[in-house]
Amino acid sequence: ALGELGQLALEQLRRGAAPRACEAAARKLNIDVDTIQHGVEGLAYLLTESSKLMISEIDFQDSIHVLGFSDELNKSLLQLYLDNRKEIRSILGELAPRLPSYHSLEWRLDVQLASRSLRQQIKPAVTMKLHLNQNEDQTAQVLQTDPATLLHLIQQLEQALGEMKTNHCRRIVRNMK
Amino acid sequence: QRFRFCGDLDCPDWVLAEISTLAKISSVKLKLICAQVLRDLLGENIEYEKILKLTSDAKLESGDVKATIAVLSFILSSAAKHNVDSESLSSELQQLGLPKEHASGLCRSYEEKQSSLQDSLRACSLRLSQLGSVCWRVDYTLSSSELQEVNEPLVHLTFNVKDRDRGRTTAVSMTLSSDKFRVLLAELKQAQTLMNTLL
Repeated sequence: ALGELGQLALEQLRRGAAPRACEAAARKLNIDVDTIQHGVEGLAYLLTESSKLMISEIDFQDSIHVLGFSDELNKSLLQLYLDNRKEIRSILGELAPRLPSYHSLEWRLDVQLASRSLRQQIKPAVTMKLHLNQNEDQTAQVLQTDPATLLHLIQQLEQALGEMKTNHCRRIVRNMK
Repeated sequence: QRFRFCGDLDCPDWVLAEISTLAKISSVKLKLICAQVLRDLLGENIEYEKILKLTSDAKLESGDVKATIAVLSFILSSAAKHNVDSESLSSELQQLGLPKEHASGLCRSYEEKQSSLQDSLRACSLRLSQLGSVCWRVDYTLSSSELQEVNEPLVHLTFNVKDRDRGRTTAVSMTLSSDKFRVLLAELKQAQTLMNTLL
């Protein structure tokens, strides 16, 4: 019975609740639908919390020992947890809120020669369209700058890239690996 | 080493890696594949089945076929972008290891379509908005709630502005008195004269 409920719990985590699957399982195991539903939700909760906190084997075993199940059931639960921990963690990882991310940048270089108020000018300008992605939504920002500000922008970005090469950053990256 | 077709920068590593894949295809078939890639760059439909047939002799995997299309797209559009003539392109590709017949076949295809390619790239350069069309109507106001006899001409103008990203057209409408309209027309004519001096 644990196998069935385990699969239902995992599917619920991957795709959301599936009442019809629960009804099918209830008929097969000859148990009330509500009991099955609660069982699946409880199992899903147990798996998510354990995966979220990255509980060790011993801690997991101690925690479920309190429930008073048979040894065999405890072993199956532990196996279910260990087999699916990585996948559950990656699903949980995608639930975090996301900032808009870079998609592409279009640019053009123009020279303003005259305007309504002033003729005989020479004013270079760079116009940019920054395309951003946010949760499958595409937005675009139009920006305009003169060459001096553009150079400053490039310098700042190169400095930011250069930070990765400082000892401080290198130490942190090494420790994270 | 700097290459003109890469904008006087180093050749990207992936392009270097895929040149050896290009050499696996016969030079005749490569020229035909180039023709297909050029169709795609010019906005016509690419015939993927034809490319699959042409690459089947070289026994390329599906990933390699896509890489071939990608590297040819890059070479052709980048050469057009930096206005590289076909002889320089041929010699630079040979420096990167592409065999001579392959390079000359590729460059002959490039030369035929170079100016169309550049026109197409010019057309899709960044543009904030684009005027689609102008509609106008001249009315004559007889009277209003403020004044019984108005007797003035009035111009209604509608500019249909295209937003290229979303493919939408927005209508910008306005009403002008004849004096204002005269000023607008005079200013626009001055701008047009300035533009003509640059052509």
